[in-house]
Amino acid sequence: MNIIAEPQNEIKKERPKMRYLETDRPATPFAREHIKTVGAITVDSPRITCRNVNVYYGTKQAIDDVSLDIGRNAVIALIGPSGCGKSTFIRCLNRMNDTVIGCRVSGRIGIDEQNIYDPQMDVVLLRAQVGMVFQKPNPFPKSIYDNIAYGPRIHGLAANKLELDEIVETSLRKAGLWDEVKDNLAHPGTGLSGGQQQRLCIARTIAVGPEVILMDEPCSALDPIATARIEQLIDELREQFTIVIVTHSMQQAARVSQRTAYFHLGKLVEVGETAQLFTNPMHQLTEDYITGRFG
Amino acid sequence: MQRTTLLLTLFLMAAAAFYAGSRRSLDIVRGHTRELHSLPSYYGYFTALWCGLPALLIMGLWLAFETSIITHLVIAELPPAMQSLPDERINLIVNDIRNQVGGSAFAGESDPLIQAAAARYQRLKDISAKALTVVVLAVAIAGATFARQRIRKEQRARNMVESATVVFLIVCSTIAIFTTIGIVLSVLFESIQFFERVPVTDFLFGLHWSPQMAIRADQVGSSGAFGAVPLFTGTLLISAIAMLVAVPIGLMAAIYLSEYAAPKFRATAKPALEILAGIPTVVYGFFAALVVAPFIRDLGMQVGLSVSSESALAAGLVMGIMIIPFVSSLSDDVINAVPQALRDGAYALGATQSEAVRHVIIPAALPGIVGAILLAASRAIGETMIVVMAAGLSANLTANPLEAVTTVTVQIVTLLVGDQEFDSPKTLAAFALGLVLFVATLILNVIALYIVRRYREQYE
Repeated sequence: MNIIAEPQNEIKKERPKMRYLETDRPATPFAREHIKTVGAITVDSPRITCRNVNVYYGTKQAIDDVSLDIGRNAVIALIGPSGCGKSTFIRCLNRMNDTVIGCRVSGRIGIDEQNIYDPQMDVVLLRAQVGMVFQKPNPFPKSIYDNIAYGPRIHGLAANKLELDEIVETSLRKAGLWDEVKDNLAHPGTGLSGGQQQRLCIARTIAVGPEVILMDEPCSALDPIATARIEQLIDELREQFTIVIVTHSMQQAARVSQRTAYFHLGKLVEVGETAQLFTNPMHQLTEDYITGRFG
Repeated sequence: MQRTTLLLTLFLMAAAAFYAGSRRSLDIVRGHTRELHSLPSYYGYFTALWCGLPALLIMGLWLAFETSIITHLVIAELPPAMQSLPDERINLIVNDIRNQVGGSAFAGESDPLIQAAAARYQRLKDISAKALTVVVLAVAIAGATFARQRIRKEQRARNMVESATVVFLIVCSTIAIFTTIGIVLSVLFESIQFFERVPVTDFLFGLHWSPQMAIRADQVGSSGAFGAVPLFTGTLLISAIAMLVAVPIGLMAAIYLSEYAAPKFRATAKPALEILAGIPTVVYGFFAALVVAPFIRDLGMQVGLSVSSESALAAGLVMGIMIIPFVSSLSDDVINAVPQALRDGAYALGATQSEAVRHVIIPAALPGIVGAILLAASRAIGETMIVVMAAGLSANLTANPLEAVTTVTVQIVTLLVGDQEFDSPKTLAAFALGLVLFVATLILNVIALYIVRRYREQYE
């Protein structure tokens, strides 16, 4: 018989169970129906206006009566504990929730006075106008060049190869990736590092020429250096685009955004200038969250 | 003792050894299981393995060599005159002796020498059986005792049992490999015999297939022709028609089911499609022969084409229907396995559903789809029953799908059906055809692997 001696390495100790300490609980319990939005939901000349938006997954209500304006050439950060509806909300803005079976949206979301849930609305054109970057980098299994050129190709944005080359280059430049990839545009996009892939996805979104860029936790799968790079990029992109970013990191929200909206249990609790919201929150729930008392 | 009884006893002893081993381990630590390195049952398995494995091994070796050793001993006892006979004669004598032992020979007809040898043979067999029983049981007891004595509380019985399991798994995994090698070798040797009589070039490049062999020298039409090209073209033609039917339909069905269909529809349609794969091919065969072939012939007549009542088209169409589920079901699975993130990425750029499917999802799923198609292709090439019934047996060299053709597999069947001599080129030709078929599917698989690997490198 073949006898292999192996070191003994089994420690069967029971781990202590995680328990919530009494102080971890929110200082003031709030039922959902008692939450009223505080702060200024409106801005001057908004790019997107949301009024009384409700979202249901089947019978479960994920977003409850949210009204919010999103300003031009500014970054708005959506923060809140997991399951608070911030990702659901951002996915309403370019109707990505259409692909989720059983998802229902009511209320009005307007982009430049055009209601995007109007039956006349062409979802394809809407998504070209409102681009989206996802939590996990999702480059297509194509070359770097084709990843960027895909959007312009399907929307017919380039008349010839020269124009397309130019779009690819400017998009990559804007995403701060050009210098790293200009010599291997034919290499697969999936071969890049995580941070590069995410910037590739941002470049891909820019290439279609959107007005709004939605970012759903764009840095949660990245290391701190790549995160810093993306945050810097977001700050640069603000000059040309309206950016909505969902983030779990309050530091990130404070660093990149001008306005911040705090979501809780599908409700918009508080919205305001980022500096003001983090230093002097008006709502008890916001204060509990940003001081780390829960979430 | 009978061998089955012996095996059963051995099994019972192993069970007893299991009990003894686990008891012993518990006794050593006086019931404090935590002090043991492994669970008590592992000490049990350890003892049982020591009891059963060496004994089984000896039994196997014993049975493998028993017959040849006894035969050798019996021959050695024969008179010298008989021993000096050529090998074939000695084999005959041995055969007689065995028949005598087995009781199938007529006692009156055999000569006393053979009878004496048979008696000796029988006696040796009895001794061998008794010795085997004693040895095996002794080894089993010795093994169990040895293992039981070795049990200590710090002994790593679990790791030892694990490594024995690994060995067992390795044996299982190699069985398939060795079986394949065995089949290939047997086909290869018979084919070499065939190629000694019919040159390889005649077989591979000859345009005429008529596998007849003369029984008498003066027989009419005595010379056979073994040019296999008509069979290859027939196989290719029918497989090509089948793939032309199955690949587009199957792929489109897969795309609809995985991307467009509502979950409810998919839950019903997919199993329904897979039922197609469960229909026996012989049923497809008579469907092809009785429904499809006459339909095609009538249709051809109406547009003024002459269609034979057994046609490659009929067989190919029905075979194509048969392999649709292979393409659709496997493709559906790989398309479903494409991450949702890729779809979201395409939709977020404003791609329509069909653009997302064509540009992103299908390319990402391509390696799997190619695999599915090639699996279907090898199924088409190996299919026999439909072709026998719907495409006929005549080896026409034609590219016209409206004529009757035949395939490699069909000819293998017809060559081997009925009473055959196993040394005539006619029969041996079947093995050569089998070899060609095997090489063809092997090449197909190699191509499939190459394509899959190439796209993997590009996409992941």
